[in-house]
Amino acid sequence: MTPDSIYKVLRATVEEVIDESPLIKTFVLIPESPFKFNTGEFIELTLNGFGEAPFTPSSSPLITDKLEITIMKTGYVTEKFHQLKSGEILGIRGPFGRGYPVEKFFGKEVLILGGGCGLAPIRSLLFALEGVKEKLKRVVLCYGSKTPSDCIYKPLFSRLNSIDKFETYRTVDKPEHGWKESVGVVTTLLDQVKMKIENTVAVVCGPPVMMKFGTIRLLEMGYKDDQIYLSMEKNMSCGLGKCGHCMMGEFFVCKDGPVFTYEEVKNTPDLWK
Amino acid sequence: MGLTISELKNIIFFENYSDNHLRVISEISSVKEFKVKEILFEQYDQLSDLYLLLEGTLSLGISLAKEKRIHLSSIQPGQLFSWSAVFEPQISTAWVMATGPAKVLAIDAKKLQMEFKRDCEFGFLTISKIAMTISNRLSDTRFHLMNQLTI
Repeated sequence: MTPDSIYKVLRATVEEVIDESPLIKTFVLIPESPFKFNTGEFIELTLNGFGEAPFTPSSSPLITDKLEITIMKTGYVTEKFHQLKSGEILGIRGPFGRGYPVEKFFGKEVLILGGGCGLAPIRSLLFALEGVKEKLKRVVLCYGSKTPSDCIYKPLFSRLNSIDKFETYRTVDKPEHGWKESVGVVTTLLDQVKMKIENTVAVVCGPPVMMKFGTIRLLEMGYKDDQIYLSMEKNMSCGLGKCGHCMMGEFFVCKDGPVFTYEEVKNTPDLWK
Repeated sequence: MGLTISELKNIIFFENYSDNHLRVISEISSVKEFKVKEILFEQYDQLSDLYLLLEGTLSLGISLAKEKRIHLSSIQPGQLFSWSAVFEPQISTAWVMATGPAKVLAIDAKKLQMEFKRDCEFGFLTISKIAMTISNRLSDTRFHLMNQLTI
C-alpha cells in the first residue's frame, strides 16, 4: 500500500501502554486520521527530539482508527519509546514495504512459526487471516519464547484456539513453575503438528537464529522454497530504499520486503546475519 | 500386551512398514503406563527398550546433581525416545519423566537387533527413522545452544 507521501508524518496519540514482557511493550495509538496498511508492511515511528525507527504494526489491518505497535527495548530510541505515557504524541510515516500476500494463502493450510518478539507482525497476520478464514483450510501457530514470562500477547492464544480452523501450540526454552505446555525450541513443535505439506504455506518470523533453524527444518520436512515466507526485518532505517542500511544481496529489505519467500532470498550471502 | 497391526498402522512413525514388519513390532513390544512424575529412566541408566510415546506428555532432561534436574524438552505422542537402547553401550544420555499420565510402546531392543540381522530391509528402515529422530534432536540442541550464545 503506497502512502500519499513518503515524507508526510501523521500524528498519533498514545492511548494505552501494555506491558507484554519485561522488555516488550505494546503501544495503542490513535492516529489523527484513519490509517490503512497491509499486514506485514511497516511504518516509521517518530519520537520528536529522539529519532525514528521502523516497526511492523501488530494490530489488525482491518481496523483503521487504532494502531498497535509492539516495541522491544534494545537501544537508545526504543528505551525512549518505553518511557512514553498515555496522551503523548508520536509521528507515523508509511506504510512501507511489501507485506504478506494473503490472497496466495487461500485454499491452503497456513503454518506460522514465530519466536519472541517476532509474534508482533504475525499477530497482525493472524487478524487478517481471521477476516478471511472461510477461504483458508486451517491456520496453525507454533510459538516459542525463552520463558513463559517472555511470551507476549498471552490472551491471544486462548482466543485463537476458540476460533474455528485456528490452532496454537506454545513452547519455552526454560519452563517456570506452573508451565504445562511444551518445553524445547520452537522447531520441536513441528513434530507435533501434522500439515498437508503439499498444500501448506509456512510463515516464519523471529530472531535470526530461530528463522534459520526454522527454515532449515521446514525444508527438511519437504516444504518447497516458494512455500516458505520470511519476514526479514533487519537493519531498516530510512524505509525508502535510500540509505542502504538494509541491503540484503540484491534487495532493499525496506522496499522489496520485509516479507520475502525463501526462494527469493536463499542465495543471499549472510542471509541469517 | 502390545498393539495390533492395525493400531500400529495409525502411528506415523510406522509409515512405510509392511504388515510383516508390523507383525514383528507387535510381537516384540508391549504397552507400559506411567503415572504423573514417575521416572521412566534416569540419565546413565542401562536401557533395554526403545520407546515410542502413545499418549500423554513426557519431560526429557539432564541432571547436574542428584536433585538438580534440568528440563530440556518435552516428548509428544508419536515421538521416539530411549534410542540408546539400540546401540552399545545402551546407556541413557538423559532422564525421562512423565509430566502427566502416559502410555508408551516399549520395544524390546535385543529382539529388535536380532530382527535387524534377520531382515535387513526392516533394519535399514528402522535405523533410518531412529537416525532422523537423533538428527532432529541434535539440530534442536544446536538451535538451543545458539539461542544461549547469541543473547
